[in-house]
Amino acid sequence: MTSSPHIHDDGAAVAARAERRWATLSIVIIVVIAGVAAFAGIHQATMPQVRVETADPTTLHIGGEFVETNLGSAAEPDGTVTVRAIGQRYSFTPQCILVPTDTPITLRATSSDVVHGLLIQGTNVNTMLVPGYVSVLTARFEKPGEHLMPCQEFCSIGHEGMWARVKVIDKAAFMNMTSNRRRLDCVE
Amino acid sequence: MSAESVFSLRNRWFITAVGITAGLFLLTAVVGLIVLPYAQRDVTFTSIWDAICSAAGVPQVRSSAAPVQPDFKVSTVVVTASMLGQPSQESIGRGATLAQQCAICHGPVGVSRADSPNLAGQYASAIYKQLKDFTSGARVNAIMTPFAVSLSEQDMVDLSAYYAYLPRLPAYHPEQGKPAPRIVVNGAPMRNIAACGSCHGALDNKAGSPWLEGQSAAYIRTQLQAFASGARRNDISQQMRNIARQMTPEEIDEVAQYYASQPPQSRRASSE
Ligand code: HEC
Ligand code: HEC
Ligand SMILES: [Cu+2]
Repeated sequence: MTSSPHIHDDGAAVAARAERRWATLSIVIIVVIAGVAAFAGIHQATMPQVRVETADPTTLHIGGEFVETNLGSAAEPDGTVTVRAIGQRYSFTPQCILVPTDTPITLRATSSDVVHGLLIQGTNVNTMLVPGYVSVLTARFEKPGEHLMPCQEFCSIGHEGMWARVKVIDKAAFMNMTSNRRRLDCVE
Repeated sequence: MSAESVFSLRNRWFITAVGITAGLFLLTAVVGLIVLPYAQRDVTFTSIWDAICSAAGVPQVRSSAAPVQPDFKVSTVVVTASMLGQPSQESIGRGATLAQQCAICHGPVGVSRADSPNLAGQYASAIYKQLKDFTSGARVNAIMTPFAVSLSEQDMVDLSAYYAYLPRLPAYHPEQGKPAPRIVVNGAPMRNIAACGSCHGALDNKAGSPWLEGQSAAYIRTQLQAFASGARRNDISQQMRNIARQMTPEEIDEVAQYYASQPPQSRRASSE
């Protein structure tokens, strides 16, 4: 462009204007998209998990946090409830998860074999269970009731049979039950 | 313009471009590593460094409150799809010698004459796991336990290799005007029961799940009832208890009868 003769002055000015407009437009688009992502992240809790935690999938059953007797719902000293569960081909343990209404719930779950999905119908709880990693989610249930919890990630040939249930019960009734059992579930 | 003067501090464009990029980088780092982590409810960080490490994905061990330890023996076997892969001839041979002490109950070629389970052609991983569980006390049986506890680790590997090598009873289900039970073919998805064959071999084998075809009805029924009642708890993370608990007594009978049918020649062989 440095050698362009004067006749093209007009053209150059038009091109420069067009370039500036398009540059402005693309910056606006980027800002809007980033803004939407930030807004959704902060206000609608679509953030990635805060902490990365690992767990050896082959030894979950032998000891530690995911040993079978430690699975289920635990009342914490701070008034919240921690639910621990594992996904395996082709069931969740515990098969029926019991939680109280109006209580902050922390769900901690992992997989002992392949990638599974954990989705609680009628809520925004939806995550993947990846072998080797602990998925942590927070939730809160307002009304008593029952939700289905299917595995939503194809995990092999018995996948369609992989369901659990989440039963939400009145907070007082739940807290009563914690006095004689340290881990609760609704498996019959 | 020569290339030299582009990357020069005297070039206003250069300074501006680098400045903007560095500024954006810093801004996103501050927002992503500090502002957004702190914006999350339900999390507390011990320090700003903790927040940065968490956001950057450094694995952490959370000191979770003392787990509730089992007051019974859980299986301590690590089961993987690749365990006991390719046994040597030597191992199979040693297993054959060791198996003589088992023949009285499990049959001379692994097909039982009584209601002890058949072992011929059983998956090596399933045999090995059960022997380990009998030894550790995770599975208890007054008749079988004494024979398992005297075995060394290598004995168990060799016995598993030998029995897995023997020809198994094939799936044998002559049409008797009855279709195969629903629960065997399709499971019962809404009750969290996958088709039995998706683990037990007819469709797929999940490591550690035994071959059931040809096993006696009494044995299958007893095991399913034991899983359902919790009398048998050595299945890893309740994977078989979850299924048995949801089965009705009629379904248990039905699958036991179904799996127990054997080809006529093998029944003859075992009753002579
Ligand atoms: C005195 C009879 C007897 C002898 C000898 C015996 N077993 Fe057993 N075995 C049983 C019975 C009965 C069971 C079923 C236990 C139950 O019902 O829980 C069993 C179960 C097993 C199982 C579990 C099978 C399954 O499908 O879950 C394995 C594996 C096994 N035995 C291997 C052996 C080996 C290897 C030997 C030889 C070292 C042996 N047994 C010797 C009676 C015997
Ligand atoms: C998720 C996979 C899976 C499915 C689906 C499954 N099983 Fe099992 N089953 C297992 C495993 C694993 C074991 C061995 C448990 C252990 O480690 O002791 C087992 C053990 C058993 C046993 C005891 C056998 C023995 O020799 O010890 C019986 C009987 C049985 N299953 C029947 C069934 C029936 C009937 C169905 C279908 C209704 C079924 N299973 C579906 C995984 C499965
Ligand atoms: Cu799954």
